[in-house]
Amino acid sequence: MFIRRRTLLAASAASAVASPALAQNYPRRAVQLIVAFPAGGSTDVGARILAGLAEKDFGQPLTVVNKAGAGGQIGFTEAARARPDGYTLCFLNLPGMNTITLDPERKAAFTIDSFIPIVNQVLDPGFIWVKGDSPYKTLADLVDAAKKNPGKISACTTGILSDDHLAILMVQEAAKCEFRIVHFDGGAQQLTGVLGGHVDVAFDNVGSVFKRVATGEIRGLAVTDTQRSKFLPQIPITPELGMPTVISSSTRGVGAPKGTPADICKIVETAFLKAINSAEMKEKMDAVGLALKPMVGAEYAKYYADQQAQAKKYTEWALKMR
Amino acid sequence: MEALGHLLSGFAAALSWYYLLYAFVGCVLGTLIGVLPGLGPAAGTAILIPLTFSLDPTGAIIMLSAIYYGAMYGGTITSVLINVPGEAASVVTCIDGHQMARQGRAGSALGIAAIGSFVGGTLATVALVVVAMPLATLALKFGPAEFFALMVAGLCLVVGLAGKNILAALLMTVIGLLLALIGLDPVRGAPRFTFGIEELFDGIGFVPVVMGLFGVAELLLAAETRQTHMIQAELKSWMPTRQECKDSVGAIGRGTVVGFVLGLIPGVGAIVPTFMAYVLEKRVSKTPERFGKGAIEGVASAETANNAYANASMVPLLALGIPSSPTIAVLMGAFIINGITPGPFLFAEQPKLVWTVIASFFVGNVLLLILNLPLVGLWAKLLKIPFSYMCAGVLIFCVIGAYGLKQNLFDVWVMLGFGIIGYLLRKLDFPIAPAILALILGPMMEKSLRTTLEISGGSFAIFLDRPVALALLAIPVIVVGFLVFKPRSLAPLRESDAE
Amino acid sequence: MRQGRLIATGAMLVFCLFALWQSLLLSLTDRLGPGPGFFPFWLALIGAVLAVALLVTTFREAADPSDAETRILPHGEGGKRWLAIVVLLAAVTVAMEYVGFRIAMLVFNAVLVVALGERRWWVIAVFSILGSVGVYYVFTTWLDVLLPVSPFGF
Repeated sequence: MFIRRRTLLAASAASAVASPALAQNYPRRAVQLIVAFPAGGSTDVGARILAGLAEKDFGQPLTVVNKAGAGGQIGFTEAARARPDGYTLCFLNLPGMNTITLDPERKAAFTIDSFIPIVNQVLDPGFIWVKGDSPYKTLADLVDAAKKNPGKISACTTGILSDDHLAILMVQEAAKCEFRIVHFDGGAQQLTGVLGGHVDVAFDNVGSVFKRVATGEIRGLAVTDTQRSKFLPQIPITPELGMPTVISSSTRGVGAPKGTPADICKIVETAFLKAINSAEMKEKMDAVGLALKPMVGAEYAKYYADQQAQAKKYTEWALKMR
Repeated sequence: MEALGHLLSGFAAALSWYYLLYAFVGCVLGTLIGVLPGLGPAAGTAILIPLTFSLDPTGAIIMLSAIYYGAMYGGTITSVLINVPGEAASVVTCIDGHQMARQGRAGSALGIAAIGSFVGGTLATVALVVVAMPLATLALKFGPAEFFALMVAGLCLVVGLAGKNILAALLMTVIGLLLALIGLDPVRGAPRFTFGIEELFDGIGFVPVVMGLFGVAELLLAAETRQTHMIQAELKSWMPTRQECKDSVGAIGRGTVVGFVLGLIPGVGAIVPTFMAYVLEKRVSKTPERFGKGAIEGVASAETANNAYANASMVPLLALGIPSSPTIAVLMGAFIINGITPGPFLFAEQPKLVWTVIASFFVGNVLLLILNLPLVGLWAKLLKIPFSYMCAGVLIFCVIGAYGLKQNLFDVWVMLGFGIIGYLLRKLDFPIAPAILALILGPMMEKSLRTTLEISGGSFAIFLDRPVALALLAIPVIVVGFLVFKPRSLAPLRESDAE
Repeated sequence: MRQGRLIATGAMLVFCLFALWQSLLLSLTDRLGPGPGFFPFWLALIGAVLAVALLVTTFREAADPSDAETRILPHGEGGKRWLAIVVLLAAVTVAMEYVGFRIAMLVFNAVLVVALGERRWWVIAVFSILGSVGVYYVFTTWLDVLLPVSPFGF
């Protein structure tokens, strides 16, 4: 069924849609930008900034559509099945997307080749935080508590086998402790979950929550990166805390479903890259704590492939821990 | 008191003629988006964002908020006139609104909806000003366990509406929940009940289902009897009568409270408050048998709750930075692009802008009322179109609505299938509303239950530890249990309750 | 009526039992907590019990004499109009894939209004064109709503 529809789509795309005239007119109408996580999380916030700045040059509205669930699988599946005509683009979250395709239990209807990576926007390091008035003042406090009460301290992710889930598994392995893992759809739910006192700790990313550290709403315990974040210079990184193996981040860029004509991809790349490199983008991204990492073409394609290879290692390891 | 001062200066800014113009244009465009099929409020709002590029941040946000309110009202019009709810929030309006139209009271229904929306929206904005921060923080205590309990309570209360058909209503609820399971598992991702049909991976769409169950089924019922017009009755009034207004006062008040309280909780969605307000209204009514047959209180309560919800859901956005619906997320995007990061720091960082926007909510609500009351007569006149054209028109409308959201012909088949199912269910007197509510709440309900059990480590005892969740679970269980197991002793009450 | 309700409830029972069987193929609970089959299994079980209960109560209900006259399936003159709508809607859904929205809707509009009793040819012509080409233009050009286009581009 799946294959038949694909070939049918490809055939119709070849006959009617992919005529050379198409790219000349592109974009003629609003373009959907699927975000596989709920509104208000760091992927969503970055996507909305990108859409807002790029659409001025792009000439047509860029509509951010949130399709959250199952660690992004619901949104990625829909994007992979969309017509490859350039009117549906998708935010690619690495390594979350890779692990989905690698876990046989997920029965993913797409592979890593179902998307053409076009332009990368963000590299957002992992960030472990608790509520502002939590008893855990440091990562060591948290780990000690988890050791004393194995499986009692609840830690939330942005989805099963997402980068955040992997980070929890890494901490468990490094510190020989055990958390009770709760899977949310995205950052917005993590925020309500931890601030509401329903979950003890969030394994999240720096973006979109960093401002709340300064207001005291949340307390940062660690950034899971090899160098301190420029947004949170006061928060220690995991290698400093004796956990050099706990390194995790989320890379987010824009891709198109396989079969999208190359000239259309080029138009998207040019418009988006211009927006990403603009001074306005930097200012807005700084305001929400998202670190830019522009990549296009061969560089992004290589990164994309490398992530898959790395994720393969982690997924096999994570599945064994299950 | 400081807030009041800020608000007054906000009003001074919002009442300048160009901001009024933005709000007015926003209301008109929003209403159009709400009326037209194939465009959800979120997509419609997003498409209009480029319009606001040339505006300053305040103007842009005023206009987008106006579009949002307008879209919420637009869905009411199609619900009343042709029994097609454009979005989830208008499903309840169909129940009594379309019945009123069939009695020639379309003007009254649309009029009271505009008035109720205005009152609900305005009062909710007042409440927003007074209690935004503390209530927003309190609402966070509402966790996955309470969420699940709220969903169960909502479903059971709607089942309670069915009167003598309680078993059938319960069964329809379960069927709706089962249909909602089709697609990818919201936690683990594996496909369920899809049988390899890839169109089912995204689940069964809500819009094609309601367009079928309500719009197409209504046409099929009408086609069976010889009709020259979709609605036979003469149009009696263009405005609610004095008596109708008097009847609706209580409903509007209660609808405001229900809508506001539920709007504070991120993620509830617009449909729960409208159903809850409707159920409450039927419960307190001295003549509950009128509900479902064109009771104006039914329309008033649902529409008021809907708009109170829309305004209250700004509280989590402004006070916590959490968008609670797709449309609010579009607004949040506009905030961010205009250099405003919503969150607890917003009131401190940019008080002038926040209060101007809040003042513009008031202005938007007033404009919506001024705009819509005169148009009520015009909309109601559409019912004069002969049946054959009305029928073709509604079907074109439904086809575009079902196809347009995902550009998928499969959804048109779904709509046709549910049209026939809806026709049969109506003939057999099976209640449809519980199935619709269940279809929408299903994914949220499963997700919150599973999250709750993840938090508790698989133990159901967590519900006993949480008083709010326990209370929410207990009340409807008692109500339904009472209706199912004590039929004889309740016989006189049930007679009056029956539809 | 009573017979119709029995059949409909029976169909729902089959639906629930089918869902029950399907959910048993998924994992109910595992080390990670409730699995994909957990919610469907309990739902389908509750649904099946409810359906049986409803079957029993409907069966025991005394036959209502007025019921015999209510006919569930469409019939007579009205039945023809009913059938016209359903068949045309199905036909237009098939046709849209091959001839696009405009042509399919043009024919659909014309045939439907004629089937429902309209005979003035010029009204039919104006309505059909407005309701197909006109609607197409408004929705695709102004509102960014995509409508089906045939593989030949019209």
